[in-house]
Amino acid sequence: MYEYQLIQATGFRNYGPVEAREGVEVRLRLPNYRGMRLSLLDGVDVTIDGEFFSYEINKLRLHGEVYDLEAMRDATTVRWAVGDFGSVLVPKAGGLAPGIHHVKVAARTRSPYFPPHLQPLPVNGERLATIVLP
Amino acid sequence: MAGQFKYGVSLYSYTEDFGSIMTLEDGFDHAADTGATGIEILGETHVECYPEPTSQWLDRWFGLLDQHKLEPTNMCSWVDTKLRLGQQLTVEEGAAELERDLRLAHRLGFKFLRPKFGVIDAQLTPDPIWSGAVERVLDLANTFDIVICPEIHSPTPIRHPAVEGYIDFIERTGTPNFRLLIDTGIFQNRPLKGWQHEVPEGDSDHAKLINGIAVDPEEFLDIAKYVAFIQAKFHYINDDLQCENIPWDKVIPVLKRAGFDGYLSSEYEGAREPWVAIDQVRRQHVMMRRLEAEYDAAHAATAGA
Repeated sequence: MYEYQLIQATGFRNYGPVEAREGVEVRLRLPNYRGMRLSLLDGVDVTIDGEFFSYEINKLRLHGEVYDLEAMRDATTVRWAVGDFGSVLVPKAGGLAPGIHHVKVAARTRSPYFPPHLQPLPVNGERLATIVLP
Repeated sequence: MAGQFKYGVSLYSYTEDFGSIMTLEDGFDHAADTGATGIEILGETHVECYPEPTSQWLDRWFGLLDQHKLEPTNMCSWVDTKLRLGQQLTVEEGAAELERDLRLAHRLGFKFLRPKFGVIDAQLTPDPIWSGAVERVLDLANTFDIVICPEIHSPTPIRHPAVEGYIDFIERTGTPNFRLLIDTGIFQNRPLKGWQHEVPEGDSDHAKLINGIAVDPEEFLDIAKYVAFIQAKFHYINDDLQCENIPWDKVIPVLKRAGFDGYLSSEYEGAREPWVAIDQVRRQHVMMRRLEAEYDAAHAATAGA
């Protein structure tokens, strides 16, 4: 089961070799009320402690596969279902120090039945989240 | 008595609960306890491993229907015409989306399929591939005895070119397998309080969605013969059992006068927080049943006079 909010507490962690962390993972629940094909997600903006990381550079890991923005846009047969977690991979050399951090995300979701000027629409989440291990 | 409503619940009502504090089993329990006889779902939300559920999941599905004595009513689906950025689906691809969902709806026992077509402009004109796509699957829908019903949903009113297009299609093809679904949100005539919508503030659609487009319920009579299903959208029913946004005391009598005897399927879409919808749906069922009973009593008295 999900935590109710978009950004999940568990799964917020550094990634890459322990001595040379490459970045931070932010685990999300599905940013939509319906399961969707991954090509309808046009990347995820992330802001950590005020530092902005664009949807153009963040990647997403879903079902063990990693997608950059281009791969996401091509993923017309991959489904992000209700119940699946996706992790945004935020490139931040050195990672984050253990402790509490302020995290904001905007998952840029396209809904074809919305008027064109509202595509994509950001699905927003914001919370304090805790990095446990360096 | 002619024209009795059937009462249902859409699991969409529990969107803020489902997946974090509510399982499918919980959803069935809450829906059935309203006295509803029908259950509506979103294929992509509520069917595990959509669009190809496992045999174990199918056993679970039919077990829940049996246990709770609920019949599948409508399955909501999407025709994602903008699946690819900057490129529309072709008619054939649109038909394939519909066929995928017709087959799933049939496997699960549904009698209605609501496809949400992508739109091409700010007036919410459905992508023109819709008619060719639907026409290609009408025989299949007929074989499955499923009615495909696009939804008339705020901010699209009853008097709108999209609705005319759907009615023209019904008249031109003569099909019994394509009708309209009305979302009662179009009748909303008082603003939502403290409601968060995904459409940003300041957008022209935002005011419509917050304040309502206030379609006159009487307009339902003009299209009643084309309507197969009603999503009983609502946002907040207060402690006095009054809906604060939609004039149900006007809507229900119009539906009765039209002789509507299909489903009113609760679709709660209020505060975006968990643990609210369960009781809101119960309140709505009391309110709707009460209004129907009042109408019936008044007209029985008239008939007997």
